[in-house]
Amino acid sequence: MNDSGYVRYRILRVVVLGIGFVILARLFAMQIVDDDYEERATSNMLRTEIEYPMRGEVLDRNGEYLVKSRVCYDVMVVYGELPEEGFDTLRLTTILDMSKEGLMKRLKEASRSPRAATLVVGYLSQDSKLLLDEGGFSGFHTRFRTAREYPRKIGGNLLGYVSEITSRQLEKSEYDYYVAGDYIGTQGVESAYETLLRGEKGVSYRIYDTHGAVKGAYNDGADDVQPVKGAQLTSTIDARLQEFAEHMMEGKIGAVVAIEPATGEILAMVSSPSYNPDLMVGRARSANYATMLHDQRQPQFNRAVKSRYPPGSTFKLVQGLIGLQEGTLRPGDRYPCNNGYSYGSRKMGCHQHASPLDLRDAVAQSCNAYFCYVFKDMITNAKYGNVKEGVRVWNEYVYSFGFGRKLGTDLYGEGTGYVPTPEYYDRGYNGRWNWGTVLSCSIGQGEMGCTPLQMANLAAIVANRGYYYVPHLIKKIEGRDSIDARFYERHYTMVDSVHFVPIVEGMWRSVNVSGTSRQAYLEGLDVCGKTGTAQNPLGADHSTFLSFAPKDNPQIAISVYVEHGGFGSAIAVPIASLIEELYLTDTICRPEMLERVLNFKPNYARYDKLQREYDAERKRNN
Amino acid sequence: MISEYNISRNRGGNGLFGSIDIVALGLYALIVVIGVFCITSASYDPDNGGIFSLSHNYMKQIVWVVISWVMATVVLLLDRRLFHMFAYPAYLLGILALLAALFFGREVNGAKAWFELGGMRIQPVEFVKIATALMMARVMSDYAFNISRITDLLKVAGVILLPLGIIVLQNDTGSGLVLGAFLFVLYREGLSKYIYFPAIFTIVLFVVSFIFSPVVIFTALLVLFTLYSALKTGAIAGHFRFLCGMLLAAMLIAMFTPLSGYASLMIVCGIGAVLLAAVALKTRTMMLLWPVLMFVYAMLFVPTTDMLFSHLEEHQKNRILTFVGLVDDPQGVGYNVNQSQIAIGSGGMWGKGFMEGTQIKYDFVPEKHTDFIFCIVGEEWGFFGAFIVLSLYIALILRLMRMGERIKEPFGRVYCYSVAAILLLHVLVNIGMTIGIMPVMGIPLPLMSYGGSSLVAFTLLIMIAIRLDASTSDNDIYF
Repeated sequence: MNDSGYVRYRILRVVVLGIGFVILARLFAMQIVDDDYEERATSNMLRTEIEYPMRGEVLDRNGEYLVKSRVCYDVMVVYGELPEEGFDTLRLTTILDMSKEGLMKRLKEASRSPRAATLVVGYLSQDSKLLLDEGGFSGFHTRFRTAREYPRKIGGNLLGYVSEITSRQLEKSEYDYYVAGDYIGTQGVESAYETLLRGEKGVSYRIYDTHGAVKGAYNDGADDVQPVKGAQLTSTIDARLQEFAEHMMEGKIGAVVAIEPATGEILAMVSSPSYNPDLMVGRARSANYATMLHDQRQPQFNRAVKSRYPPGSTFKLVQGLIGLQEGTLRPGDRYPCNNGYSYGSRKMGCHQHASPLDLRDAVAQSCNAYFCYVFKDMITNAKYGNVKEGVRVWNEYVYSFGFGRKLGTDLYGEGTGYVPTPEYYDRGYNGRWNWGTVLSCSIGQGEMGCTPLQMANLAAIVANRGYYYVPHLIKKIEGRDSIDARFYERHYTMVDSVHFVPIVEGMWRSVNVSGTSRQAYLEGLDVCGKTGTAQNPLGADHSTFLSFAPKDNPQIAISVYVEHGGFGSAIAVPIASLIEELYLTDTICRPEMLERVLNFKPNYARYDKLQREYDAERKRNN
Repeated sequence: MISEYNISRNRGGNGLFGSIDIVALGLYALIVVIGVFCITSASYDPDNGGIFSLSHNYMKQIVWVVISWVMATVVLLLDRRLFHMFAYPAYLLGILALLAALFFGREVNGAKAWFELGGMRIQPVEFVKIATALMMARVMSDYAFNISRITDLLKVAGVILLPLGIIVLQNDTGSGLVLGAFLFVLYREGLSKYIYFPAIFTIVLFVVSFIFSPVVIFTALLVLFTLYSALKTGAIAGHFRFLCGMLLAAMLIAMFTPLSGYASLMIVCGIGAVLLAAVALKTRTMMLLWPVLMFVYAMLFVPTTDMLFSHLEEHQKNRILTFVGLVDDPQGVGYNVNQSQIAIGSGGMWGKGFMEGTQIKYDFVPEKHTDFIFCIVGEEWGFFGAFIVLSLYIALILRLMRMGERIKEPFGRVYCYSVAAILLLHVLVNIGMTIGIMPVMGIPLPLMSYGGSSLVAFTLLIMIAIRLDASTSDNDIYF
């Protein structure tokens, strides 16, 4: 025993205590000071699982399914969880109904982010999903989805479709609800009513062990949120009418819009060419989408609400009504027509008919000259001071009919059409223009552009004698007493109800007595109509017809527009008439007329040429 | 001080069991019991048999605890002279067992250091620790032994290095490191402290050489040593000029010759070292020679480390690189440590409760019942539990040292110190590993980690110390 030994004992004791202190200090820092570890322990075992609700379905006005939902699954793979010894690829590819090459390609993509769930294949049926679960393929998971089904395969660009949200959308705050891989309604009803149809996602917190096995619900499921099923919507569409209209529009380019005047409910809305909405569901979706994208007839372009067609002679109704309201026209006024209307060195042509005519017969016979007088008298009215002011007043009237602006419908991508303004002419003619410059507007030509929806709305306005309800596509939402308040509001035009009487009379005569719309005659139904033949620089005239029936207590207002269909009476009148017949009588008593409509093929050389050029361009670029 | 030292033995009662150190025994038993609870938490699986089914690891461990305590009783009943006598044969047997494992053993985790007997694995190195401790005690308690004599020191070095060599050959470096604990004992027995400075310096250099490039290390050392020398001699201006001259010369060489910065620095330092050494010898200022020697050593050591490192096994390299933070790969090599730290860190003050640790329950911590058992303490009993367990270990170690001090003759003292040192190293390395301040080396936490051979070996190790201590008051045993 020596002092040196004792001193060293003391030193070594300090060393031991020092080591103990260092460990303790580290433990203190980790356990007491740093909160980070707790979060990491929780995130280690917790997995937040989004539970997707069933997407809401859409019924037609009679309770028939327009859009059905069916359960399906996306198959996802987490590459890092794949067993090292491999798996039965043959069995998996059979269950998933995909090629081995396709599977390998997806696995290779997944290997780039081995911890993330990567999509292998979508639209797995419920039966196949059970097979997959039984197979015990570790690393493969399924994600609940709703796939759409369309019993009648109608209303492609009316209903829209559902697709995966794009990364560009995800960057915007309005899409905060969504995460990558979520589905979102695109176009049509699916887009316009997305927030109702999607329901609300649920969330569940599950505890997983390190092997990826579920160990139970976190906090006994107290923090979980149940998914809320999407609302069922009842559409205003009459499925049978829609199908019939689509059928008749096959091979034609144009649009049909039918509205119930008393409510503004859209009974049918066709944009042709349309497409089978089933094409936008399933694994072939992207291929089908590409095909449509390259089609120069643009099947995904909803002409009924987006296009700007010259309204042609149907617009004469508006001109007559404005003239009456402004007092520059009286129903009994007669104007001469010598195959047209000459002004300066120019002449607005007209067809052969008796002359002179009063307002009713001018409407019935669709006299161009008559409405040139009407329009000129209106805008050159001395009380406005000048033509410019006259056109400005005329603008206000036209806007009140729903032209040149959005109607505020629940339709996706609604267009405004176009109504020329004094400023427009100032720009175009350097401020030097007169009533002759704008005269082509008198018969709905020139710069006028309307959507078929606006034209159908005009038919409804006339049917209602002066007001309209904003046209809409959804009349009932599951779980709600009413739809948006704006759809219950009457919108009056600036023309008094009384002025509609001679106009309606003219439209009735056009169908029932003598005029351009005689084909639309249906016994006992008092159909009223106004044809239009819109000249256009692109080719043959557009055929259009605007109609409602019955004259008193109207049930249906309709606008038909067929590009390059020729005279209004050539194709637009029979299509509209057959739709009215089916809707009002539930039968078609004129099979020969239907036959004629179906066999009517307008000449679309212009579109064919566009397509050839586009295809050649694509080929060059590839 | 002396008086306190002398009255340390004050026990009532007669006979062997009356003289046993109850504190050490109690600490031992407490740690073992806590270990069983931790293993229970780690391995209880309600789907797998009843609570007392032997298929559970904790039931197996309880069986081993019983076996250990039977053996402990036997050890305590043995005559203390037996341990003296058995030192040589035990050591020889240990060496043979190590060799046998090296040639015929079973490879586990890359280390060929195991025997397999009827489904049970035994690692001879566990028992070699006891044998080596006994052997050390025997050699160093020789009446002619003098630690200052080079031959005796070599003898001791031989006793340690022989098993160490075999263990390294077995590729079980972690266990081999435990034998380094004997440096602790040697210090107590009077080994010159100047041995320890280079040892610590070497360890620091080793770690630092992975983190910084040699140029940085040498520049830092150059500045550090010059500063040290300057403060020591007081000739600050002269040292400053010397330092600037060296660095300037190195820069000039690097700029105007094709040599790299590293090479230039080495050349300048080499010449500078020779010059300084010459000056030091001439003026007999040994104070100057010390830093020079250390620096030259560093110049040789750092490149050698790089070379040695390239010969290490891949997993060893990765462990070291992860430890020094050069590889940050939470899902790969660092996964175990990362999960273990999450477990302990998430325990908070009071822990999550018995069998409530999510990291443990859901298998995020690997090897949770063996090498990473401290995670259970940390996660389920929090800082409170970790503090208790750590305190028990430290108390046991200090108690063993104190027992060593009060044993009048060197055999017992050296042995007790050896046990204390082995425990200390295990605790430091194992707990250090679970909290990320030590690299991952597969050595168990004494008395707590699951495993029969480890528990039996540590029990024997400690019981022999208690038995030797108890002998101090045995009047009958003196020779």
